[in-house]
Formats: sequence, structure tokens, C-alpha cells
Amino acid sequence: MIDGTPFGLLLALLQAGIMLAAAPLLRGVIKKMKASLQTRQGPPVLQVYYDLGKLLRKERVRSDTATWVYAAGPRVYFATALAAAVLVPVVFAAAPFEGAGGILLLVGTLALGRFALAVAALDTGSPFGGMGSSREMTIAALAEPALMLGLFASALAAGSLGLGEIVRGALARGVSFHPSEWLAAAALFLVLIAEAGRIPVDNPATHLELTMIHEAMVLEYSGPDLALVEWASSIKELVFVTLLIDLFGPLGIATSITPLALAMGLLAWLIKVLALAVALTLVESTNAKLRLFRVPELMATSLGLGFLAMAIRFL
Amino acid sequence: MGFPFPLPADAIPAALAVRLLTVAATLCLARRPTACRLVAFGGSVIASVATFLVAATVVFSGVSGRGSLFRHAASGAAVAYSVSPLSAWFLLVLGLLAVPIAVYSVGYLAHAVPASRSAFVGAAFNVLIGAIETVFVADDVIGFLFAWELMSLTTTLLVATEHENRASRRSAYLYLVMSHVGTGCLVAGFFILASMSGSLSFATLLSGGLATGRLRDILFLLFFLGFGVKAGVVPLHVWLPEAHPAAPSSISALMSAVLIKAGVYGLFKVCAFGLGTPRMSWGLALMAVGAVSAVLGVLYALQQNDLKRLLAYSTIDNVGIILLSLGSAMTVLASGHGELASVGIAASLYHVLNHAVFKGLLFLGAGSVVMALGTRHIEAMGGLLRRMPWTGLFFLIGAGSIAGLPLLNGFVSEWLAFQSLLLGFQATPGLERLNFPVAGALLALTSALAAACFVKAFGITFLARPRSRAAEGAHEAPMVMLVPQAFLAVLCVLLGLFPGVVLRVLGPVMAGLPGLRPAGEMVRGAVMIAPGPGRFDQVSPAALAAVVLAGVSLAALLGRRAYGGLRRTPTWACGGQLDAQMEYTATAFSKPLMMIFRAVYRPTREVEALAEVSPYFPREVRFRAEIEPTFERFVYAPLTRGVLRVAEEMKILQAGSLHAYLAYVLALGVVLLIWLGGEQ
Repeated sequence: MIDGTPFGLLLALLQAGIMLAAAPLLRGVIKKMKASLQTRQGPPVLQVYYDLGKLLRKERVRSDTATWVYAAGPRVYFATALAAAVLVPVVFAAAPFEGAGGILLLVGTLALGRFALAVAALDTGSPFGGMGSSREMTIAALAEPALMLGLFASALAAGSLGLGEIVRGALARGVSFHPSEWLAAAALFLVLIAEAGRIPVDNPATHLELTMIHEAMVLEYSGPDLALVEWASSIKELVFVTLLIDLFGPLGIATSITPLALAMGLLAWLIKVLALAVALTLVESTNAKLRLFRVPELMATSLGLGFLAMAIRFL
Repeated sequence: MGFPFPLPADAIPAALAVRLLTVAATLCLARRPTACRLVAFGGSVIASVATFLVAATVVFSGVSGRGSLFRHAASGAAVAYSVSPLSAWFLLVLGLLAVPIAVYSVGYLAHAVPASRSAFVGAAFNVLIGAIETVFVADDVIGFLFAWELMSLTTTLLVATEHENRASRRSAYLYLVMSHVGTGCLVAGFFILASMSGSLSFATLLSGGLATGRLRDILFLLFFLGFGVKAGVVPLHVWLPEAHPAAPSSISALMSAVLIKAGVYGLFKVCAFGLGTPRMSWGLALMAVGAVSAVLGVLYALQQNDLKRLLAYSTIDNVGIILLSLGSAMTVLASGHGELASVGIAASLYHVLNHAVFKGLLFLGAGSVVMALGTRHIEAMGGLLRRMPWTGLFFLIGAGSIAGLPLLNGFVSEWLAFQSLLLGFQATPGLERLNFPVAGALLALTSALAAACFVKAFGITFLARPRSRAAEGAHEAPMVMLVPQAFLAVLCVLLGLFPGVVLRVLGPVMAGLPGLRPAGEMVRGAVMIAPGPGRFDQVSPAALAAVVLAGVSLAALLGRRAYGGLRRTPTWACGGQLDAQMEYTATAFSKPLMMIFRAVYRPTREVEALAEVSPYFPREVRFRAEIEPTFERFVYAPLTRGVLRVAEEMKILQAGSLHAYLAYVLALGVVLLIWLGGEQ
């Protein structure tokens, strides 16, 4: 609908900018809320930005075992997170690059980034990298079918796999309280927890070798490389949150190209992201981390919910 | 759209003649290995290029070419061939792979196979490719079965190249037995069809109107078993992980990339489009078999620590994906949706090409690694990217392709497979439609597990520090082995970035299949494809490539403010000295998945501590872990026992007495006389 036009390119730049800028904020807000639930003061909301700025200015230190694969990992991971950010509609009811592909391309793009980072983690020879890489790929393998089924349930309801088309279809149909939407939303929320590496699947705050997954994979990274990884992870989290918003609550997103509509769309998006951030915080604060071998049960639940969502809508 | 270098189908017999001459010359030169290799593979390249050109001409124009390979003047009997667009597509894949594999073989045989066997491998290579070509173009039962049998026998010989090795002989025997079970089913199927029509020509046999009712189901089952063995679908796959690794690596590449496609070709030609409009139950059955093969194939691949065995199991996984798409196409074809079925067929045929390219590439890479190290065991590798930089790069591209990552070719065919499943869901009425999302979830699981599997295969093999003396001293393969890999790696990228071109080429192939109506809107320019008209979905990996490139540049730009230059330090090893013993192993890498899918693997482990003084101070700890070969133990072992028991009983007949045998002949003669005499 808009791709290929100058406006499309402008929107792509704008959206990439918004996602780049807002992603660390989401992390900061969740950290702050978590701290206040634990009656701690917590770091400032903007601490994530200070950390990124500091890391980007630090010296590059790399292992002498590592090859170009190690250096390429974070860059590809960052690039795919950024690409994913322009494949979803954020403030306007069309993704800037929706001509490039729909949800399947989005899932593939994220898989590309994960593959690059998982391969790079094996490059230093440190056992932590291998451990993290193995665990990350395991959980991704379990989450992928659940993610696909959840997405298919929503996409088939809209009759398209294009995210822009899904959002516009949902807006045209109006607010729906069909039980399949709830089930699919629940299924995808579980996947969001796994993909964002949050408790109960993974603990982003730990560096204990028995429990860390994503952190073990990137343990060897430092300085600018680490900054790219952290930033990309936060963008990925925000993309998943936005995806949930697009699929199940697109109300308020801009449908016309006027400054007012776009501003309203931005505001609505921020509010919805905040709401999901609260949900993530509550889940993270009220649950204990699952053992690695209990995660399959969680993912199986999500898979079951997704299948149920399809079954009750289409039978 | 015409092909710029057209070659008429009459060149097919000429190409086969070139192969025969090459075989003769190769055998004559057996005493001079170097010349022998050059002649064998040079001749093979010439013949393969010719077949490739013929195939491309037919595929681009959509017009079949036909003729006869051999005519016996006195009896008037002839062996006919016909290059239909479908056979041309498989010939095209064969030609595309046969050329780089032949070039690679020149270098590989020189270094990795004893010189005395150069002539044998070179000659057998040509016979094998000639046989596969004949299978693809044969137009009657006799020619087809002759070529099919020649193909199986030559493969058996090649698997047994290292015949002093007992395991190789066993693999070859297993392959021989399994192929003949398959061939038996094919012979039965073709004879039933031939006796109904009184003809041996495929044009009559496979016109689709011959069999009806229950007989049609029986024929489908016979042909499915016959071709399924060759394609290596679960549960007929047991020969594949044994035979593929046992052969020399260039032959493994040929087997995995092209040979199993002969089975897929048969499934297309006979099961899907030769027995009339497929029934929905056939499609669903193929989908089920495909999904099971895909998931089990990749699950077993994950637990292999033998690089070539891992690749062999992943071939089962990819055949599963091919059959899954074919099955979904047949299911919607049964309910009359010709446009939607073409999406599944496109996915299937595209994956045939893609799998040939990336699996050929990976086997060639594995061959170089095995040649450099002298072992196939992943745990003895490591650090090879520094020692074999080009092989490593090409292997990484192949690994990314097989994991279905965008920008590479595997993604496109898996994308099409997902489209065909979703469209099938929409088009199928009733409860049967729920099979499609289940298949979709299994396909997603397969592709994610394949990613895990190839992170392991590449990472443990090529990264970190060498885990053995052999890996430390490894050297890059010679140019003649690198160029073919480079060619295939470039193809992986091109086939991934220009899917529109491939689908445009596939258009006439699909239009030539009965019942299919491929929508022109599937091709939206060279870089964009869609599953049909409308806005259901579309994809343009090239657009993603542009965005990813921009992202990588931004990432590079962000790091420019970094302090100072790049500092190299040893990897932190918790205060100790990092050595290869501390690295994560391949077994450890796949351990979590082993635990999660233990219902499938049924793993057993033994830990044995050998102690002299006290059990607390073991001198040596032995660890052994293995997964249960479920199919071998619970399906094939009882079957083998049964066959042996029957054979034991039948020994009574074979008493060794000449008189008894003469009596059998007499008895048979009398019975035949009575039987035939009674009919008049």
C-alpha cells in the first residue's frame, strides 16, 4: 500500500528511529517497575541508555581464538532486529516494508539473527558460549511451532499473512471478543516471554552458569559488540510486543497520513506497550524461573492454545 | 521465454553415448590414474552439460521432446525416451549438480581414494549418472526398470568402494536388499497396469484412466513403497544413513543431491499424476509420511556426531519437506483446486532443486574436511575455519540454506510450503483441514531444529580450537575442489534472492502436469513471489537483503566511537588455561534436545569407572551414550527374523538332490500342461 513511495521510505526511517530509540526505554521501564515491586529504588529508567553509550565508547576486546564469525554475529543480529522493526506496523496501519513479506518473513528474519549469534557464540572456545548457544537454539526450536500456530490463527482470520493487511482487517471488523482471539493472544504471550528471554523461561539479570541462557551465549562479548547485542535484543523484545498489539489490539493506530493521526497512533502505541510491559513485569515478579527441562511444558501449553484457537474459529 | 542456448532432445542418446565411450576409455586407462580421472570426469562434464542444455530447452519452452534410445530392427522393439517438462526439471537439477561434483571428484579421488580405484569410481560415476538420466527420460516400462536396476546396482558398488571395510560391505548389502524390495513393488505395480492395458508405454500406462476403485489404492500403495524406498522416507529410510556416509564423499553428494530425487520423480510421475486425479486420502497420507520423515530425520540428525551421517539424516528431513508439500498439493487437487495445488507443487519442485544444491555443497564441504583430517567424527574437529577458510565459508552458506534462513534458498521453498499448507487449510472442507495447521507446526519445528542441528555441525567443526592433532594440522583443499563448492554456494544465494526467476522457469513444468493451473501472479518480477493473485502474502528476500545490509552498515557505524583499536586477549577460562578439552562438545550441544525428546530417542548411557585403589579415585572413566535405533529394532529386526525363518523352512525344497529337482521340473510341466490345456 505504501511501499516504494517516498512516504514509505520516510516512514521506514521514522519507524526504525522510533524503535531504536524506544527499545531501551522498554527495558528500563520494566526494570524500574520490577524494582518497585521488590520495594527497591532500582536504577534510573534511562540507565539502559547510559550503559549503551558507555559500551559503545569502550575498547574492543576480542578473544584470540575468535574469527570473523565472532565479529559478524552481533552485527547481523542487530541488522535483523532492525529489519524486523520495519516489517511490523507501529504507528501507521501499514508496515513500511510490508511489500517485502509478512509474518513468515518476520519469523525468518529473527531466525537469521539468532543463527548468526548462536554460531558466533561457539567461536571463542569458552564453554559458556556453547552452553548458551545450545540452550538458546533448543528453546527457539520449541517456541517456533507455537509461534507459527499462534500467528496462523490470527492471519487466517484476516485472510492474509501480511501484517498490514491483518491490522487493516482487524480495524475494519471492529472490536471482537471471539474466544479464539483470547486463546491465540495467550499462546503468543507465552512465546513472547520465551523469545524475550524473560522469567519464567530465562532470567535476563542472572550470570549464574546453571540458569543463564541468552546471557551465556553473549558472555564473551564486551564493549561495542555487547552494546549491539543488548540493543538488538531490546529491539527484538519491542518488536514482539508490537506484534501482539498489532494482532490483538490495533485500535488507535493511524489510518491516514496526517500529523494528528500519526501522533495519536504513537500515543496509543506507547500506552499499549506500557500495558504489556506491566504484564511482563507482573509475570516476571510473581514467578520463579523454570528449570530448562520444564520449559517444553510451557511451550506445549502455548502450542495447545494456538491449536485450540484455530479449531474453535474454523470448525 | 526461450532458452538462449537451445539443444534439441535428440542430443540425449548422443550424451549417453559419450558416457559409454567415457566408461570404455576410463577402463582402458586404468593403469594411469591421473589420465583416467581426467578422462572419466571430463567426459562426464561434457555429457552433463549437454543433458543440462536439453533439459533447460524443454523446461523453458514447455514442449516435450521424444525419440528412441535403441531400436531392434528385426523384432521392431524399441526403448523410447521422452523429455517432458517434469523430467526436464529433474534432469536440470541433475545436470546442475553433476558438473561441479565431477570437477570436485578429479581432486578428491586424487587425494582421498586409492589410485588403483580411480578407474572403478570414475567408470561407475558415469554409469550411475547415465542410469539416473535414463530413469528421468525413459518412456516405457522396460527401459525404466532396466535403468532403475542399473542405478541401484551401480550405487551398491560405489557404496562398497572401501570393500575391505566390513561396515561398508554391510551398508552396501542393506542398500541392495532395500532397493530390491522397492523394485519388486514397482515391477508388481507396472505389471498390473500393463496387463490391464496391454501396453508397456508410459503414455498409456500413466494416462490415469486405467485403474478404478480399490485397485487404484493398491497401485498407489505399491508405487509409494517402491519409490519411497529410493526417496528414503520414514520408515523405509534405514539404508540411507548407512549407505550415504560409506560411499566416497563426492558420491555421497551425488546420492544425496540427485539419486534420492529419482524416488521423488517417481512419486511425482506415478503416484501424484499418473493414476488419475489423486484422492484426498493419498494426499493426507503423503503429508503425514512427509511430516514424520521431516521431524524424525532432523531429530536423528541432531544426535549424530559423524559429519556425513548427520548430513545423511538431514536428507531424510528434506525429503520429508518435499513430500509434505507434494501431499498438501495432492490433497487440494483432490478437491479440484488447481491453482492452490500449484503452490504446493512449486514448493516441492523448488525444494528438490534447493536441497540438491545445498546438500551437494555440504557433502562436498564435508568431503574436504574428512579428507584433510582423516576422520568423520565431529568431536575430533574444531578450529578449521582458520585452516580451511574457504571450505568453512561455503559450509556456512550451505548450513544457513538448509536451516531455512532468509536471503538463502532454503527459505524460499519452505515459505512456499507454508503458503501451500495455509491455502490448503482454507480450501479443504470439514475436519480434514485441521491436518494442515498440525503439518505447519511440524514444519516449523523441523526448520527450527534444522537450525540447531547446523549451528552444531558448523560451529563444532569449524570454530573454536582444534580438538585433535589432525585438526591442528589440517590444510585447505586444492582449488579444483574449492571452485565447485563456490559455484554451489553462489547458487544458494542466487536461488534465494531471485525466486521469481525460478518460479517463472517452473511455470511450464507445472502447466504440463494434469489438473494444475498455476496462477501467473505467483511471479511478481525477478525478486518477488506470491502464492497467487490477491494480497494473501508475498515475499521479496532481496528487499530484506537491502534492509539487512543497511542495518549491518549502521552497526559498523555505531562502533566507530570505540576507544582505541582492537585488542586480542585469550578467552577467559575462569582463571585457568583454556584448552580444547574444555570446549563445549557436539554431544553436549544436542543434549538438551536429547533430554526433551527422550521419548523418541530412548537414550541409554553407561558410565564405568575403573579404579585400582579406591572407587573414589578412578584411574579411567568410560562413558558411552547411544540412542535406540527404533526402526531397526522394532520394525526391521522382526521382519528379518521372519524372512530367515521362512527361508529355513524352505530349505526342505532345496535338498541338493538332482533327482528331486528333476521331479520338480516334471511336476511343474505336468501342472502347466493341465492348466493351459484346460483353457482351450
